[in-house]
Amino acid sequence: MPETVQPFVSLTGATKTFGGITVLKAVDFDVRPGEVHALLGENGAGKSTLIKIISGLYVPDGGTIRIGGETVTLSSTRDASRRGIATVYQELLLFPEMTIAENIFLGNYPKTAWGGIDWPEARRRARALLDSLDSPELDIDRKVASLSVAQRQRVEIAKALSRDARVLIMDEPTASLAEADVQRLMEVVRALRQRGVGIIYVSHRMPEIFALADRVTVLRDGELIGTRDIGEVTEATLVAMMVGRSIDQLFPKPEPIIGETLLEVENLVSGKLVKGLSFSVRKGEILGIAGLVGSGRTETALTLFGITPAESGRIRIAGKEVTIRSPREARDLGIAYVPEDRGLQGLVKSMTIRQNVSMASIDRLSRGIFIRFAEEAARAVNAVKRFGIRARAGIEQPVGQLSGGNQQKVVIAKWLETAPRILILDEPTRGVDVGAKSEIHAIMGELARTGVAIIMISSELPEVLGMSDRVLVMNNGHLVSIIDRADANAESVGAAMTVAKKSKDAA
Amino acid sequence: MIKRILRHETILALLTVIVLAILAYQSDKFFTVDNLLNQGRLMTEVGLVAVIMTFVIVTGGIDLSVGSIVGLTAILTGVFWKSLGLPLPLAAFAAIACGTFGGFMNGVIITRFKVPPLIATLATLALYRGLAEGISQARSVRGYPESFYVLGQGNMLGVPTQLWLLIITAIVAGVVLGYTRWGRTVYAIGSNEVAARFSGLPVDRAKLAVYTASGFAAAVAGVILVSRVSTTRSDMGTGLELDAITAVVLGGTSIFGGRGTVIGTLLGLILIQALKNGLSLAGIKGDGTIVLIGVVLILTILISNIVHRDGNR
Repeated sequence: MPETVQPFVSLTGATKTFGGITVLKAVDFDVRPGEVHALLGENGAGKSTLIKIISGLYVPDGGTIRIGGETVTLSSTRDASRRGIATVYQELLLFPEMTIAENIFLGNYPKTAWGGIDWPEARRRARALLDSLDSPELDIDRKVASLSVAQRQRVEIAKALSRDARVLIMDEPTASLAEADVQRLMEVVRALRQRGVGIIYVSHRMPEIFALADRVTVLRDGELIGTRDIGEVTEATLVAMMVGRSIDQLFPKPEPIIGETLLEVENLVSGKLVKGLSFSVRKGEILGIAGLVGSGRTETALTLFGITPAESGRIRIAGKEVTIRSPREARDLGIAYVPEDRGLQGLVKSMTIRQNVSMASIDRLSRGIFIRFAEEAARAVNAVKRFGIRARAGIEQPVGQLSGGNQQKVVIAKWLETAPRILILDEPTRGVDVGAKSEIHAIMGELARTGVAIIMISSELPEVLGMSDRVLVMNNGHLVSIIDRADANAESVGAAMTVAKKSKDAA
Repeated sequence: MIKRILRHETILALLTVIVLAILAYQSDKFFTVDNLLNQGRLMTEVGLVAVIMTFVIVTGGIDLSVGSIVGLTAILTGVFWKSLGLPLPLAAFAAIACGTFGGFMNGVIITRFKVPPLIATLATLALYRGLAEGISQARSVRGYPESFYVLGQGNMLGVPTQLWLLIITAIVAGVVLGYTRWGRTVYAIGSNEVAARFSGLPVDRAKLAVYTASGFAAAVAGVILVSRVSTTRSDMGTGLELDAITAVVLGGTSIFGGRGTVIGTLLGLILIQALKNGLSLAGIKGDGTIVLIGVVLILTILISNIVHRDGNR
């Protein structure tokens, strides 16, 4: 970036306080036209607050905002959007029952001379916008409900562009995308940069940041740690800036103590994606399950956990044959499941940390039917301490207000309260920041050493390779191979996944 | 969260006190022991139903069939006693058992066949009322023995008999909802049913229990109603479901589930009953009262929402 380019948006000394707690302390931040400015920080570092100030959702308590050199106050998102700032949110805000064209121009329709909506013009412009985003396959008359997440995202971007956005804020745009879609999104971002749009890019994924960003700003605990050109930093320096210490080991896996076989599964069948699976897990072992999206990994977990009970096959725990027809039965057999979708399946967001931590073990925590509240609170306090859950209001804070990493720790704490023998973790570090991620990995290693059998499903190959004692590769509901830690590497596991893919296509 | 609920209840309690004060000022017949106890008597049937309805709504459900169960139970009490010749206490118990079964069926339809509660109980509202009308053949049953009226018209320790029942029910319900794992399960279901299931909570069993209890409360209310008005007709309890739901919602229970208390519901009940009674004593006609209750409902919810927004962050 040439130094002479004037920033389009700049914040000076932005400060924001909620109920006496300062979540953003005198932060300076700017975006130039035609640059990708990555915003980094652990969850709770103040990224969201900063974004919300720029997009007009929050009014800062201190500091100034300048847009195009002019000092302004943004009192609403409408205000911000009129000044050329648009946001693509993590949860996409489109109307599923309306068509793509309707969504793009909602509230901003081109008008005819008579004041009605100029539909031919709207459709023509919608088409042109999508074509410019390299999405000729999207039919503008399709309902948004029928689109994939990646496609909806492109519609959102088109919507932003339809309002002549000069600055586009993208909040974890790749969090829920598959690899191919990520590549495509990155192309789109590059194209936008070419057009002179300034992009604020929030992401946890380092490879993306190094592939896209021109500059990086790191926040920690609401404070600006620094803004650097991407050429000046490495992944290690960024991580150190984010967590305030250097993380010496990415996957802290202690030497495993592997005991006797605990869980044996034979010819497990359930639904369309679990087709005759056989495997076993031993005490103290971490079994990683790798596979592409839709290969039946989560479905296998749901079968073992009793959500979708097995239609046939045998499950043995410690040599004893069992049937599992509900999560309750699974729990009573010592199986715990930390689900893929934290917000929907893992937590009751409106309830407090205390109530969530005790949720799976509430029967044990009760005398008769009465909850022992003191015991419940003590255990929650313990969990907060043990897992380093960061919560402003302590155990009475609703978990919906916690960051992703802290939420995930609450889910794990909830299940450890049941003292499980078998722990199934489904994407345990998805949407979790770097610091919390290595903490979660450390917890897994520790648990395994106490003799818990762990099954870990993950789409992140480094995580699978780093944490697993054995790697089970699945495809299309079948087991492809089980690879020992010594032989497991990106090539062998990747090959198992791709070979399977080809054979599936041939079949 | 507890703080927030208390806040709604505090507002409601204040409002109730103000209303009581105004009404007492308007008419000297209002704030007398006799009148208040009598109002308690009149409130009991809706009250029993509303207390249990609180559980139903906290799970995120609704039970529209309670009014029809009241009617059905009333008719069955009469038919079992007069036509089948059962002793009256036995007839009443049998009728309550039938009403409870009606609630159980609601639960089965909702948990087994995954029918949304609104639709399931809308259907059984029609079904149970239809049964009541079919069984009664438009004939009313009268001439119950004097001893039966103790329940609906008598007193115990100077307080209407059925009011004791309401008080005990409310205390038990309040304790169950606030202090037990069953209550916690009810809140969890209403807040996020999927997560509750994924946490190993007995979701279906809890819902079944709640709808069955709702049927039971309605059935007991039906027998009390017969005893109070000394007669059975098939249209008894019509519209009672709406009175109960109004009290629950006025009491701060979220219609989307996950939030609400028994104390709130009781305050809602008292406020509505006081308004009805006080306004009629002040010479305001029935339709005026209904309008005012609607206005109070909207205002309370508005005030509570404003306070919640402030309290939130």
